[in-house]
Amino acid sequence: MTIQQEASARGEPAGVATMQFRQGSAIRQLWETNLEVFQRDKMALFGLCIFAVFAVVAIFAPQIAPNDPLTPLKNNEGDWVKDAMPYWLAEPGEDEAEGYTNTFLLGTTNIGRDIYSQLIHGSRSALLVGFSAAAAVAVIGTVVGLLAGYYGGWVDAILMRAADVAFGIPFIPFIIVVSAFLDPSIWNVVVAMAVLLWRDTGRVIRSQVLVIKEQAFVSAARVSGASNLRIIFVYIAPSILPLSFLYGSFAIAWAILTEASVSFLGFSDPETISWGFMLQDAFNSLALSREAFYWIVPPGLCIMLTVMAGFFIGRGYEEVLFPRLRRM
Amino acid sequence: MSILSIRDLKVNYHTQDGTVQAVDGVDLDLDESQRLGLIGESGCGKTTLLKAIVQVLPRNGHIVSGEIKFKGMDLLKLPPAEMRQLRWREIATIPQASMDSLNPVQRVGSQLMKLLRVRGGYTKKAARKRAVDLFDMVGLDTERLMHYPHEFSGGMKQRAVIAMALALEPSLLIADEPVTALDVIVQHQILEVLRRLERELNLTVMLITHDISVVAQVCDSVSVMYAGRIVEEAAAEPFFASPAHPYSLGLQQAFPNLASPRDVLVSIEGYPPDLREPPAGCRFAERCPFVQETCHDIDPQLEVVGDGRMAACLRSNEMDSLRHQAEDPSLWQNVEVTRGFALPAPKSAGDGRGEPLGRPSNVSHQVAADQPVADPYKDKPEPGDGGESDDILLKMNDVSKRFKIGGGLAGLLRGDKEQTVYAVNNISFTLRRGESLGLAGESGCGKSTTGKLLVKLIDASDGQIVFDGADLSRVDDKELLGFRSRVQLMFQNPFEALNPRFTLYRSLTEPLIIHGWKDENERLQRVVETLDRVNLRPAEVFLDKYPHQLSGGQLQRVVLARALVLHPDFLVADEPVSMLDVSVRAGILNTTRRLARELGLATVYISHDLSLLQYTCDRIAIMYLGEIVEIGPSNEVINKPQHPYTKALIAAVPVPDPTIENPPLRIREGVPRPTEQFIGCPFAQRCPEVMEACLDFRPPAIADDREHQAQCHLYGEHRNSPKLQREADIAR
Repeated sequence: MTIQQEASARGEPAGVATMQFRQGSAIRQLWETNLEVFQRDKMALFGLCIFAVFAVVAIFAPQIAPNDPLTPLKNNEGDWVKDAMPYWLAEPGEDEAEGYTNTFLLGTTNIGRDIYSQLIHGSRSALLVGFSAAAAVAVIGTVVGLLAGYYGGWVDAILMRAADVAFGIPFIPFIIVVSAFLDPSIWNVVVAMAVLLWRDTGRVIRSQVLVIKEQAFVSAARVSGASNLRIIFVYIAPSILPLSFLYGSFAIAWAILTEASVSFLGFSDPETISWGFMLQDAFNSLALSREAFYWIVPPGLCIMLTVMAGFFIGRGYEEVLFPRLRRM
Repeated sequence: MSILSIRDLKVNYHTQDGTVQAVDGVDLDLDESQRLGLIGESGCGKTTLLKAIVQVLPRNGHIVSGEIKFKGMDLLKLPPAEMRQLRWREIATIPQASMDSLNPVQRVGSQLMKLLRVRGGYTKKAARKRAVDLFDMVGLDTERLMHYPHEFSGGMKQRAVIAMALALEPSLLIADEPVTALDVIVQHQILEVLRRLERELNLTVMLITHDISVVAQVCDSVSVMYAGRIVEEAAAEPFFASPAHPYSLGLQQAFPNLASPRDVLVSIEGYPPDLREPPAGCRFAERCPFVQETCHDIDPQLEVVGDGRMAACLRSNEMDSLRHQAEDPSLWQNVEVTRGFALPAPKSAGDGRGEPLGRPSNVSHQVAADQPVADPYKDKPEPGDGGESDDILLKMNDVSKRFKIGGGLAGLLRGDKEQTVYAVNNISFTLRRGESLGLAGESGCGKSTTGKLLVKLIDASDGQIVFDGADLSRVDDKELLGFRSRVQLMFQNPFEALNPRFTLYRSLTEPLIIHGWKDENERLQRVVETLDRVNLRPAEVFLDKYPHQLSGGQLQRVVLARALVLHPDFLVADEPVSMLDVSVRAGILNTTRRLARELGLATVYISHDLSLLQYTCDRIAIMYLGEIVEIGPSNEVINKPQHPYTKALIAAVPVPDPTIENPPLRIREGVPRPTEQFIGCPFAQRCPEVMEACLDFRPPAIADDREHQAQCHLYGEHRNSPKLQREADIAR
């Protein structure tokens, strides 16, 4: 279809041009692109819903969780309520015999911690790690990409050789080394991702900038006297921001997955509950051999859901950004 | 005997936004050895028709009804396997941009031979022989069979594609825009090949193009398509002498013609109807200058209007008088349509001579001024302070631009030597206020680089560019900003020249913001005023549109408006209309020309199209390999060319008149790579009039660019040097 036909199809009614048009800023444009992603792609909307649910859970975790996730629960005699089954699985009357009331949705751990409360609190670290790492990756990658692509020359050379170095460092071992130097904390993952994972975003954004900066409207801006910074941030950046969002949403998934892996390997802070930590706890206490699926499956499912949500959203951006991929 | 006959063909495209009736009831007959030219602007269904014939429609395209008979076979009922047999062997197509259809990793010869062996059943030996014959036939050196496509120039690739299309001796050749995007000299040579083959092989050809002069040169009959319909059918000569449909009439008058230049070219304003809901009446009614009440209600059918001529127009019986009326260009200009906005057309749209948009910014050396940006209103010159009309605005002194390629780390690893591209070599010219200069030449001649140098998008390697007394290589940031407010660039591709994320208001107001216009209301006022100037009316309607909502012609007007919003005094237009449909080209040119005159704007037009430059420019400079080889007043350069290269360029421009055949060129295609430095004349390798001196001495530089001069030994002290026989004597 030709541009003309498209234009005539859209041909909005006359006379609506008052002063409203001047609000058409780049920010609104960006907002509209984002809106379009979720309107057109139901999967992306689904992903967003998952994040929204987990966000609510994370914010109100202390209110939602029935017990403290780290404190072992005790029965009437002061002993830990070890390895209690969920109340919907346990044999009736067993809890009274042991001297406690079984209200545990997902049972307890081998030292009597409430699994359900752990799961609720785990969403906090997952989202915290996910979003902060994603933000760090997206921001660093975008800035690096913009500078390298726009200025070229030695700026490009230095930044891209740095990216090459980052590409050369294996990711998980790097985090383990970082954890060894720093105190165990979930922030180690964020730091490691910020230090390493900007490389992909940076490369991709750089290549996009190289394309956009050759377009005539950028030359037009330069001929009009626009400064370099103005060209970068007013003309080029808005065009590549959706791409940053794309990489950001993938980074959320990566970060959560990485945090889970690192925790599972035992390099996390024992004082902070995360889903990966729960899995490691379950693994170490031989929950698998006891068929305590209620301990293993929920954190696994949560990790899977959040990671999926990140990828769904990323996919939605991809569909809007690269519509040609859809037809492949 | 009719070889191809199409009856009431309808093709629809299903899109997200509805069904587009791209081809809507086309009847077409093609007799053996007929050469039919199918003309129309983009989006009118030409290519869809071609794809329907060979049945390679994209997945969302459907043939709704109709019949396509090829040699008595109904193609629509043919099983796919038989259709496949028919393609290439019986119906060969040269698709759009077919130069890129050669496989880059196979030798051209082996691609051709593979085709012959697989599809034609040739043996290995016979295929080789046939391939050699084919290359001979299209004028390619047979040694080239062993070369890869990247070793071919554009024209050579196009020849190879023609050879491949004709390899299996098809009964019908359909070529879709076979010479678009080729340089004028190459275009001429390809047309010559096509013409020769038509004669020698008695080919049946259907040529699809937007360029009526190509049709005039190659075809013996013409069909004009508009909005999915054929609106006129005629033999070529009567068609070009007296078109019978208003649309054809407009197309013809929209074309600049070197042989008989017009004072004003017409432009068919507006754009074709939306084919999702085609209008009930005549589809051209909205853009037609002869529209009547009934046109909007009655859908005209293709009817016989004379000896073997058909036209779909309600007023075809009055065509003779209409044709007479159409001679007056103002008739066309009055139909400036602002479609969909339902507002009356402005009164004096076309050659409107309203009050000037503003004075030429100033003459008071703004570049070096103390406060160039603080308050733009202060810079407004007093009335009457126009300055002398013939003072020099811009001076190029021996300007050169070199690029380095193949160096760096990658080059080092590949073992490439760093090479220097001499994009622009020692060019000098002057430009007066209000004057327009055209830069012409084949692609790669450095004309666009010169344009970039002029607006300081890139800096010169050598030489001096003096703008209004200030040397551009020595301006500081503040002066540069002042310069930026006075010099603007208009781009080739309007679809890329505007930020897709900005509304038009935002795009137009940006330059004002950059140059320190603080008051939003003043900015708005200036933007509206400028849009009005470029005939985008009412301007308010366009302010909140995004670029994708406008047609190409409208966009180019916006680009022009952005260039003029600061009231510059120098404008560089780089191929301003080459991406636009023919029907709207003239409108842009007319507006630019009028505004330049009103504003006293000095303009440099860069184009490969000499007829366009003749139409718009006071002076023309011909460039070859980074040098200006001839410069002078437009009419003199066109009518009395001196340099052999200029002569070749002019001879190569196809004439939109089938009775005039372009003379054969005596010049080889293919510009040498601009990486070599020549001892003698750079053009000597291709020059039909090469002399001994040309190989040994550089021709004297143009001494005075204000006169008509050429940089050629034919007019210098060596004019009596012995002539050389080409080819043999020029040892490379």
